Amino acid sequence: MDAYLVAILTTAAVYVILALALNIQFGLTGLMNFGVVGFYGVGAYTSGIMTETLGQPILLGMLAAIVVGGLAGGLVSLLSIRLSGDFLAIVTLGFAETMRLAFNNEDWLTRGPRGFLIMTRPVIDGLGRGATAWFILGVFVLAAIIVFVVLNRLAGSPFGRVLRAIREDDLVPATLGKNVLAYRLQAFVLGSAAMALAGSLYAHYVQTITPDNFTTQVAVLVWMSLIVGGAGNMKGAVVGALVVTAIYEGTRFLAPLMEFLTPTQVSALRFIIIGTLLIVVVRYRPEGLLPERIAPRSRPDPVPAAG
Amino acid sequence: MKLSRRLFISSAAVTLAAPAYLRAGLAQSAPIVIGSMTPLTGGGGPYGPEKSDAHRAVVAQVNAQGGVMGREVQLISEDSETNPEAAVRAARKLIDADKVSAILGTWASSVSLGIMPLCQEANVLQVFSGSSDYLPDGDTKGLIFNLQPLNKAWAVALADLAVQRGFTEVAFAGPKNDFAASMGESFAASLEKLGGSIVGEPFYYNPGQASYRAEAEHLIRMNPPAIFVAGYVTDFVPVYRELIRGGFTGQIITLSFAVGPAFKEAVGDAANGILHGSPVPPIGKDSYETYLRLVGIEPSGQVQNSFGCMAYDEMNLCLLGMEAAKSTDSFAVADAIRKIANGPGERVTTFAEGKAMIEAGTAMNYDGASSSVDFQENGMLKSRDFALYEVKGGEDEIILTTTSDATQ
Repeated sequence: MDAYLVAILTTAAVYVILALALNIQFGLTGLMNFGVVGFYGVGAYTSGIMTETLGQPILLGMLAAIVVGGLAGGLVSLLSIRLSGDFLAIVTLGFAETMRLAFNNEDWLTRGPRGFLIMTRPVIDGLGRGATAWFILGVFVLAAIIVFVVLNRLAGSPFGRVLRAIREDDLVPATLGKNVLAYRLQAFVLGSAAMALAGSLYAHYVQTITPDNFTTQVAVLVWMSLIVGGAGNMKGAVVGALVVTAIYEGTRFLAPLMEFLTPTQVSALRFIIIGTLLIVVVRYRPEGLLPERIAPRSRPDPVPAAG
Repeated sequence: MKLSRRLFISSAAVTLAAPAYLRAGLAQSAPIVIGSMTPLTGGGGPYGPEKSDAHRAVVAQVNAQGGVMGREVQLISEDSETNPEAAVRAARKLIDADKVSAILGTWASSVSLGIMPLCQEANVLQVFSGSSDYLPDGDTKGLIFNLQPLNKAWAVALADLAVQRGFTEVAFAGPKNDFAASMGESFAASLEKLGGSIVGEPFYYNPGQASYRAEAEHLIRMNPPAIFVAGYVTDFVPVYRELIRGGFTGQIITLSFAVGPAFKEAVGDAANGILHGSPVPPIGKDSYETYLRLVGIEPSGQVQNSFGCMAYDEMNLCLLGMEAAKSTDSFAVADAIRKIANGPGERVTTFAEGKAMIEAGTAMNYDGASSSVDFQENGMLKSRDFALYEVKGGEDEIILTTTSDATQ
């Protein structure tokens, strides 16, 4: 059971990073990125190609994933960032699908549908099976903590304040002389780079990636995490990712309690339960479990009337 | 009573150690845990339930007859969702939480390959059905068995048929997935061996498209006398429709599961003349009928539950392997399965028959519901029955049944 919990926490750490990354794009800046899985996949394949095809160490693989993910984010956002809202959502969705097709068809680079085998792992050699699992969990949690600290600091900084202002009404910061496009671009690139980092970690963890790993289903999980946790709040994103993973995995253990159902029915029931829980959260707590909290600014004393 | 420090320490040590001793003592009678991971939802959704049912039926029967090594078999079912990402999480749960000795029943090659690194690391046996030629690549420990012949074997039979009918120039089209990609390579190789050739490049399209008009026109422009479309029913139907609408009059060759009753109903008379083939269970054979009756189906003389019969063999082999090895250690079980499946020895078709042989100390050869189940060194099947059909008057007419040799 310990080993299972370690494995699930490791997966959860990946989702935590993805949710944090989406939080800076959507939660803070209001950029609808439905193409989470595209950047995630780009990171996974970049890192895999770097370590397996080019034989570089894993740290360089992660770094390359971050750089390529950020570049991809920059290109996508420059193509579409002026088109806010729904339009950006469709462009990012298209990007994710394009990436999946590229992974599937560029066999020379990605080995196409047969799957890309990755032997490099984020561990030091010579550990037993149990110790390896704990070590990987440690690496992932560390990565998640770094991403959390960096993004949380940014969210609380003047930079984060401008992002929130853009989300609420981009005319206001523009009127104050802020370059709205540059801020949106930065937020999008930052988020995309973090998503790619998550992809890199995931790839070295599961060790076989195929284009089927990068379907919209993953993006849906990340969006669920953010909405359940509380968009705009970095802690909320973390809690959301953990809660969604717990629900998703926890429902597996219902099967032994329902011997009277066939496995097919149990499987369907799992998705019904997950869906119902989400509807309940969104219905009764639309702001999420940990809503965004903006510290009330201490107002300066009113300027005494000239007397 | 005064609780001295010595007493406290010794009793605490005993208390803490007790579970470990109890566990060791109970291990002999603890149930054997086996994971069943079938595609209950997603692309394999139509085939998962029959596999899951077959696993459960065998386990229920074996438990009723006294279990394996006198221990109860506990079956834990998980849904692969026909998606390697979800399957990896499900496999983690089976391996780490349930501590299964084996995972049976994965169907899509991407899923079997996706969970292979986990199973290899934890020394968990994998018995599945899949046909991608890349499947043996992921196994370095000799812990996989596959009940479906690889594409290479299918391609030989279909290329033979094409050449017999006078088609040496055949175009290839298929969805871009691991199944069709390796089928394209194998078919081209088989056709070339017979003196034929592929027209143009093997042509792959992306599955799940709204329209296949451009793909069909591309194929027609190449003007091949025959086209082999290695699709599933979901993409074969629209591709075929566009080909006919575009005026293609040559021969169409495809796989049987693409032209089932749903297809014939959808296209009507236009289905006539299609040549198709696929691996088939040995219709009319006692072992196949035993399986069908076990899951409550009356044999009809047609192909029924073509994936369920493989699941039946998966479970029988796994349990017989454990009984013969007197262990759940994967390496010992895998060795035992090799001996049981390939023989030589007395023919057995069920777990009960096999158990009697083991008790009598006689060598056996398992003859399954899906095939005679003989494995090569790498755990892939040596051969399977393969049937070729032609659609005439809206019905499949059998051309021939061959035993395709997968060892070439």
